[in-house]
Amino acid sequence: MLFMLGSIGLITLPHAWHIPPLLFGFFMLLLLWRLLSVWQPRYLPNRFGVFLLMLLGIGLLYSQQHSVFGRDAGTSLFVVALGLKLLEIHGRRDVYVIVYLAFIVAVTQFLYEESILMALYILLVCGVLLATLITQNSQAPRTLAALKTSAAIILQSLPLALVLFVLFPRLEAPHWSWLDDDTHAKSGLSNTLEPGSIAELSLSPELVFRVKFAGDLPPPAQRYWRGPVYATTDGVSWRAPPVLGRENNPDQLVFTGATYDYTLMMEPQKQNWVFALEMPTQFGAGLRRNGLYQLITNKNPGDRAEYQLSSSPVYNTGGISKTERRENLQLPGKPSDRVVELVKQLQGQPARPEMFIGNLLQHFRQENFHYTLSPDPMPDQPIETFLFERRAGFCSHYATAFVYLLRVAEIPARVVGGYQGGQINDVGGFLEVRQADAHAWAEAWLEGRGWVRFDPTAAIAPERIERGVNVDLQIASGAVNFSAIQLDAKTLSWLQRGRQLWQSVDYNWQRWIINYDTVNQRAFLQSLGIDNFVKLGYWLLISVAGVGGVLAWRLLRPNLRRQDPALMSYRQFCAKLSKAGIKVDVGDGPQTVAERAKGLRPDLAEAIERITAIYIRLRYQSDTEASDLQVLKKLVASFRV
Amino acid sequence: MDLALDRLLAAANQVILGKQQQIRLAVCCLLARGHLLIEDIPGVGKTTLSHTLARLFGLEYQRIQFTSDILPADIVGSSVFDAHQQLFSFHPGPIFKQMILADEINRATPKAQSALLEAMEERQVTVEGRTYPLPQPFFVIATQNPAHQIGTFPLPESQVDRFLMRIELGYPSRQAERELLSGQPRHVLIDELPVALLPEQLADLQQAADQVYVSPALLDYLQAILAFSRQSTDFASGLSPRAGLGLLAAAKAWALIDKRQAVLPEDLQAVLPAVAGHRLNVGANDSAAIVAPILKHVPVL
Repeated sequence: MLFMLGSIGLITLPHAWHIPPLLFGFFMLLLLWRLLSVWQPRYLPNRFGVFLLMLLGIGLLYSQQHSVFGRDAGTSLFVVALGLKLLEIHGRRDVYVIVYLAFIVAVTQFLYEESILMALYILLVCGVLLATLITQNSQAPRTLAALKTSAAIILQSLPLALVLFVLFPRLEAPHWSWLDDDTHAKSGLSNTLEPGSIAELSLSPELVFRVKFAGDLPPPAQRYWRGPVYATTDGVSWRAPPVLGRENNPDQLVFTGATYDYTLMMEPQKQNWVFALEMPTQFGAGLRRNGLYQLITNKNPGDRAEYQLSSSPVYNTGGISKTERRENLQLPGKPSDRVVELVKQLQGQPARPEMFIGNLLQHFRQENFHYTLSPDPMPDQPIETFLFERRAGFCSHYATAFVYLLRVAEIPARVVGGYQGGQINDVGGFLEVRQADAHAWAEAWLEGRGWVRFDPTAAIAPERIERGVNVDLQIASGAVNFSAIQLDAKTLSWLQRGRQLWQSVDYNWQRWIINYDTVNQRAFLQSLGIDNFVKLGYWLLISVAGVGGVLAWRLLRPNLRRQDPALMSYRQFCAKLSKAGIKVDVGDGPQTVAERAKGLRPDLAEAIERITAIYIRLRYQSDTEASDLQVLKKLVASFRV
Repeated sequence: MDLALDRLLAAANQVILGKQQQIRLAVCCLLARGHLLIEDIPGVGKTTLSHTLARLFGLEYQRIQFTSDILPADIVGSSVFDAHQQLFSFHPGPIFKQMILADEINRATPKAQSALLEAMEERQVTVEGRTYPLPQPFFVIATQNPAHQIGTFPLPESQVDRFLMRIELGYPSRQAERELLSGQPRHVLIDELPVALLPEQLADLQQAADQVYVSPALLDYLQAILAFSRQSTDFASGLSPRAGLGLLAAAKAWALIDKRQAVLPEDLQAVLPAVAGHRLNVGANDSAAIVAPILKHVPVL
């Protein structure tokens, strides 16, 4: 009983994070009540009391969820029902109902979380539940033995589960998205670039996506993962321009040079953006490239998804339309004299744009500009304050100031958000990009070259681009730190290695288990030559029968494995005797066999006697010699009838 | 010491003709510290065998002839009023001997039977609140007639279980019978028998039997036999753990008589009818037939 209550407590524990605290408290109260009643049975409520409690439960459920449909409400319903059922255990049947209900509650956990840790936890708790069933059915319940048995049962069922997982047609309830009323905010880039938004992200170690390259990795300086484009500004924040009507002619895009092929796995996001390496050339169905060269997915961004992409770092976007030019020259107002002066000084008007950009970057580099994660707040006129007074800022400050100055110099320019860099996971050989890698850079339109990327941050803090952000240190100290991207094995501490290993396991779990959907399954099955349901049925039947057969064979012949090698040799000997017509019954001892064999084949008496003597010594006597087994094997092998 | 055992067996075979196997079993039973029940029709030599064994083992022995009017006091003894000393004093009965030959035990009433059987199990006697220990070693060799004979009180299962072995003698073979008919009277031969084993030698032999090696493989076989007897539908009830212990002790003694230091499956098979027969089926008297399914179906290998 205690055992069962304990396992039920374990199974509902992770739900504490999902279901309303009031309902969880109600459940815990019922569980505690039941627990106390183990020692004080008279405290158990009678039929009427249970009925009242049920009414209370229904009331609470309705007040918290207003329905019984949907993921949260359904889960709460099961949990409350489980708690109520606990109070009316009259016989073994009720225990069964409770255990089965607990299994269902365990399953609902996967509606919230699909991580490998949760899977292991649920598997563990299922083991405890199975043990509960075992103790219910054994005369002398022993906890340890029951746990052992349930572990054995789970291990035996794993191959079958694996076969069914791989072969059984996947039911596509698209990751329960229709049940997904999850509204908890995910952090990430948004449609507006607020002054502090990227700095906020830079403290988040949350994974955004993982990339596995088919070939070589691009050099760190080319790892720009393109996100939203910010073109409209009011001087403080920058907003993305309207995308509608911008499905502009993609044939203008000209790619030259090598392409990188890679698989990109997006973690759940708020926006349906896919951060491709600049500039994506090929992308699968379900993705489209909008006029801002950003990839948009039509899947639910709240799901983890995997994409096959190709990108080329060398590209030419061609010309721009008048609207686009106007949009990218937009200024929040008339620039101040200081700014105009600066632009003039940097030979902005009417010098060539390239020259001006070069001078501007030089200006950032030579003047006393700093890169900092926590700049002083610049509430009004942030760009001017930054340019002329503070001179310390984060990538978004540099990018916006850069774009602003370019626009003053009448060069179409815009800010691009996204991620830069990423950390290489040595174990899995993939790149992990986190929120802390969020970055903002600039794009300027140059005649004949199209949109060209400029990263003013690289001018101030080239190590940001070359080495990437050291997330851990940054979070620990709140200041910007950079780490070398290629760490050699010696400097990698075991802790880091352990984390990389874990990330790699997690990546593969996501990739092969969670993302194994209908499409992937079809592709996989086709590679096995299964293209219709009849064939699939045969495969299923054969695999299940095969696994079941092996298990049955092992279960029904338990003592075959732990057999004495001497006995095996002796069996061969008996088989040889049987071939010669000397009958050996199961109930015959070795001496009986030897006497009979000697009687029938006096010519072999000596060999039979020697084999029997050594076998008896090996199997029944205490004075066995080390060489006996070898001798026995040799004798049996050379025994001819 | 082995020689002494050989001499003992040879001498016994001189008296009881053509029953080597039964004599060996009887000796084996005593080496395994068990009580022996000999069952057969009258006149085939039950009493002769028990007397022979008693003589050869050199133990002080007492024969008790069980009849339908025998009382417990006739077996264990009683308190008698001593007129000189004006008090009761205990007069030990015939049971206070190292070896008891209980003849025709199933002729006595259950009351008298249980007096003997209690003494067998506890190796002590309680009379009027006082406990008297029995001598060491203490053996009972009981004989009984088959249950279907007139005027018998069959021993219940629980009491039959106290005997380590039950053996049957059966009619002698033609040649053995010829020798018997032409030879000397048996009681003369018994009187002439020398003592073959000294008491310390018997103790040594019993200890040696205890130390015979039993391998895990043999225990597997023994357990398989026990499990089979419990699962099989051939038997009303399976072999008890006490029966298992008895089987092992008897098999060890059998191996010792065979001059081996380890028990073989054949030893178990040899003692199985005698040890298990009367426990699996009290009524029947063909032990070999009773245990035949076990020997046939329980795999040795």
